[in-house]
Amino acid sequence: MNRRVASFALALAFPALVLGWWEWESRQGSGHAYAFAPLGQIARSFAEMIADGRLALHAGASLQRALTALLIGGSIGIVAGVATGLSRVLDRTASPLITTMRQVPILGWLPLVALWFGNGDGAKLLLVSLSAFYPTVLNTQKGMQAIEERYAEVGRLYGFTRLQSLRLIAWPSALPLIFTGVSQALAFAWIATIGVELLFSASAGLGTEMMAAQVAARTDVVLVCVACVGVMGFALNQLFALLRIRLLHWLPAAGK
Amino acid sequence: MTDHRTLRGPASAKAPASTGAVRISGLSKRYAMAGKAMTVLDDINLSIRPGEFVSIVGPSGCGKSTLLRLIVGLDTDYDGEIRLDDTRVAGTGLERGLVFQDHRLFPWMTVAKNVEVALLNQKLPRDRREKVIAEHLALVGLSDFGDAYPHQLSGGMAQRAAIARALTNEPKVLALDEPLGALDALTRVKVQAELQRIWMEAGTTMIMVTHDVDEALFLGDRVVVMSPRPGRIARIVDVDLPHPRDRASPLLHRLKDEILAELTREPRGDDGTLVAFPGRPRG
Repeated sequence: MNRRVASFALALAFPALVLGWWEWESRQGSGHAYAFAPLGQIARSFAEMIADGRLALHAGASLQRALTALLIGGSIGIVAGVATGLSRVLDRTASPLITTMRQVPILGWLPLVALWFGNGDGAKLLLVSLSAFYPTVLNTQKGMQAIEERYAEVGRLYGFTRLQSLRLIAWPSALPLIFTGVSQALAFAWIATIGVELLFSASAGLGTEMMAAQVAARTDVVLVCVACVGVMGFALNQLFALLRIRLLHWLPAAGK
Repeated sequence: MTDHRTLRGPASAKAPASTGAVRISGLSKRYAMAGKAMTVLDDINLSIRPGEFVSIVGPSGCGKSTLLRLIVGLDTDYDGEIRLDDTRVAGTGLERGLVFQDHRLFPWMTVAKNVEVALLNQKLPRDRREKVIAEHLALVGLSDFGDAYPHQLSGGMAQRAAIARALTNEPKVLALDEPLGALDALTRVKVQAELQRIWMEAGTTMIMVTHDVDEALFLGDRVVVMSPRPGRIARIVDVDLPHPRDRASPLLHRLKDEILAELTREPRGDDGTLVAFPGRPRG
């Protein structure tokens, strides 16, 4: 118990130090006060943005965008991963293309996507979905290809059909890696969401709000948004980790 | 497949096992290792009666596990012949089961689901299927653990669950590849007694590979002693004692000495030089 308190205190010590330094910086003249908005000012903006529902609106829009894209890119990724994991021909055909495309950072697609699809919500969703697609397809494929021979032999002993092997052996044994893929996809989708919102500043979203605040010289609002992005990303990650433990409860302790 | 099920349920007393005879004749198996042909099994001839319990002992490398894999059809590349009730064995089949040294339960399924795996391709009505699963969990003493996951079981329980899975579809022949090898000494003795009881109740022909001469003698109607490189049958020992057996029986002790002497005899290599069994106690 004492050790937990100590480690918690330690985790808070560094941020407290940074905040103290921050407040000190903000008091070093008006130029500093602009770059380092005083903590009081940030707190006031935070309260204000909660009160007028702005924060909820933008955070909700970003969250919805990230999760929708995760659903689209993630499910296509899983289906593609299963297909390329099972079929050598598909693997040979599609994997080099996927690997090559993956070398292009998501924002590298921006000019093309803007040209083809404009800068509306559809274009944003496409880019974020793409960022969720890569980790799911790669991990799912790896999982499907790593079926243990010892389990496959059990399937042969009991005369499993191809479908039974897939459903009862390949899929469940790939699940831990698929979860790894989806959790990476979640992190990438969240980062990409804020990225595309910063660059395609139309409609609601934390990135959009950040951009608008910067133009309006409201560093305090920018900082509220930055903190919000960080905290939400962390929370999403933790929630997913809990979900993973729940759904993969059958894993021996070492595999968790 | 469904007919005999109604005749001999696993919980019934030992039924006349009219089928399950295994005849192995002129069986040889070669591997290509590093471009060199290596004979793993050489001219194996063995007839196993229906319902018999045959133990196979031998030093590492005598091909005893390979022999089991050939019998169940996980490996189909061999010379010679393996027949089950006059039908030549080709590939895996539900009439031949195998218990591995590692239990190989699927970690993502409960114990009951793992046992059900063996029945997936048997045409059984739902309620009958559930009854058969419950009967077999009871047979291995795991009635209360149907909903447990493999990682929640001890080694002995997991191995018993694996035996239940292998017996559920009532194979005519059950091969056991060092099924108790991974268990500690005490659990091992207990599961041996369980296995004896299960075999007596189920009436299945069983062929068990083991390193443990005591275990081979305690369970086997006959003990096949193999010699290595290439794997050959060195001797077949009849264990003329009724089941269930008493471990303290003087006959078992005498046979143990004989078999150990056979296993530790210095074999002569092809060129006539002495070849020692690695890691075997002498005398």
